[in-house]
Amino acid sequence: MIRMFRSEWMKIRRSVIWLLVAVSPLIAALFGLFGLKKGGEDFPWIEALSLMSVLHAMFFLPLLTGIYAALICRFEHTGGGWKAILAAPVSRTQVYVVKFVIVMLMLAATQLLLLIVLLLLGLSHGSAEGIPWRELASSFIGGWIACFPLAALQLFVSVAFQSFAAPLAVNVVLTLPNILVANSERFGPYDPWVQPMLAMIPRDDTYGYGAFNLPMETLFGVVAGSFVLFFVVGWTYFARKAV
Amino acid sequence: MSANQELILETNGLTKRLGGKPVVNAVNLKISRGDIYGFLGPNGAGKTTTIRMLLGLAKPTSGTIRVFGKDIRKERLAILRKVGSLVEYPSYYGHLTATENLEAVRRLLGVPRSRIDEVLSIVRLTKEAKRPVKGFSLGMKQRLGIATALLGNPELLILDEPTNGLDPAGIQEIRELIKSLPQSSGVTILISSHLLSEVEQMATQVGIISKGSLIYQDGIQQLREQAKGRIRLGVSDPESAWKLLLSCGLPADWDHGKLSLTRTDNRTVAEAVARLVEHSHLVYRVEEETASLESIFLEMTGSEGSL
Repeated sequence: MIRMFRSEWMKIRRSVIWLLVAVSPLIAALFGLFGLKKGGEDFPWIEALSLMSVLHAMFFLPLLTGIYAALICRFEHTGGGWKAILAAPVSRTQVYVVKFVIVMLMLAATQLLLLIVLLLLGLSHGSAEGIPWRELASSFIGGWIACFPLAALQLFVSVAFQSFAAPLAVNVVLTLPNILVANSERFGPYDPWVQPMLAMIPRDDTYGYGAFNLPMETLFGVVAGSFVLFFVVGWTYFARKAV
Repeated sequence: MSANQELILETNGLTKRLGGKPVVNAVNLKISRGDIYGFLGPNGAGKTTTIRMLLGLAKPTSGTIRVFGKDIRKERLAILRKVGSLVEYPSYYGHLTATENLEAVRRLLGVPRSRIDEVLSIVRLTKEAKRPVKGFSLGMKQRLGIATALLGNPELLILDEPTNGLDPAGIQEIRELIKSLPQSSGVTILISSHLLSEVEQMATQVGIISKGSLIYQDGIQQLREQAKGRIRLGVSDPESAWKLLLSCGLPADWDHGKLSLTRTDNRTVAEAVARLVEHSHLVYRVEEETASLESIFLEMTGSEGSL
């Protein structure tokens, strides 16, 4: 497993994929810089978190999940890499799990970068005290965990399709309805693509999305359930795929 | 045929059906240690499909595959550890250099790092090692593919059309490279091609596949025997002429129709004609019949390969 991982690292180390990690945090930084009310008081941490994570969690996080998954499969499709890896002495399960872990690590890097941007912004206002670590941690880690089912599905689609566009199309089609679904009390809780947003944006938020007043158990049930389903389907498919 | 030698690879009734149609049909391959096995067949005969099944990349519909005496379904990883392969076209990561490409594979195999320089020098890519592979010519990518296949010190090397798309010089180079391998590293090689001429100079064994079925499997020498020219003799009484020639110790052959000499050197022909005339046979014709390896190959595989 470690060998497999080091091999994958070799491939993504010098890939364009790293530029994407910075995109969403940078845009969020602009939101934070220009969107927050300037004033002499304490830095409004929770408001900043809401403001900066709304676009990130609604669109960028789900979209990036799909893009990362598609990118780490793309060089295998174009260069005939699947044949080479699968003819090497590694099990298909290992290959699939490592690919999945890499997508999740890329997402973790994205989350971390956004958190750093937020902290820097806050600190530049001189608010070293009163950083709401609990809220920040639950927001960023929760958003990351909510990406598990998305990553599982996107990896499945990316492995299945040779083309780069197909998994992205699936990704966009599933992500765009977030604008509407997030406001729906009926569908919001059950759409895995909305979960990153529900998890990231603070619950006492003034924007008041419809799906927010739900118990955490429901949300985690949806996340865990859809993750297991998508992962098992993708993994079973990959284990049998003829390359 | 080296029947008493250890079998490195053996398939039994190997079959792959795609959409109900057998793409590979009951193929029984037998490859012994140290062989250079030329796996021949026109495009679409089932060579690549067979090779993919040998590597566990695709599952057979029925039949068994044993490599190093182990069943691929049960001990795939143990087998693959000792197999190097190049399937159809070389696998590479364009954004990485040749060395980095090999390093990515090396990490999977767990061989010493020094092996990278060794294989690069075997395929003569040492000078290009630091360039991104996307700028490589097809021949260089092909050589890198062979280097990758050699990386894990394989006991069995499976090369699927390694000269595909190369110019004559590149083909020659790869051929020399492959020929030199069994002596230098003791590997067994399975090499597929759609051109007999390409493998006849290096193969020791030949398997010919056509429309999914293995129609010939024997030493290249036996195939050459079939390809040798013969001298056809048109005589008044072939049967007694045949007996006469045999009694004189000449290599005559009579298939109840045609009388022919299986050696074609001048002395044999001259002596045969002299004997026949001596014994009052009427000699109408003395003509040479040649069949090249290629024509035998075409005859065996039918015309589907040539457009």
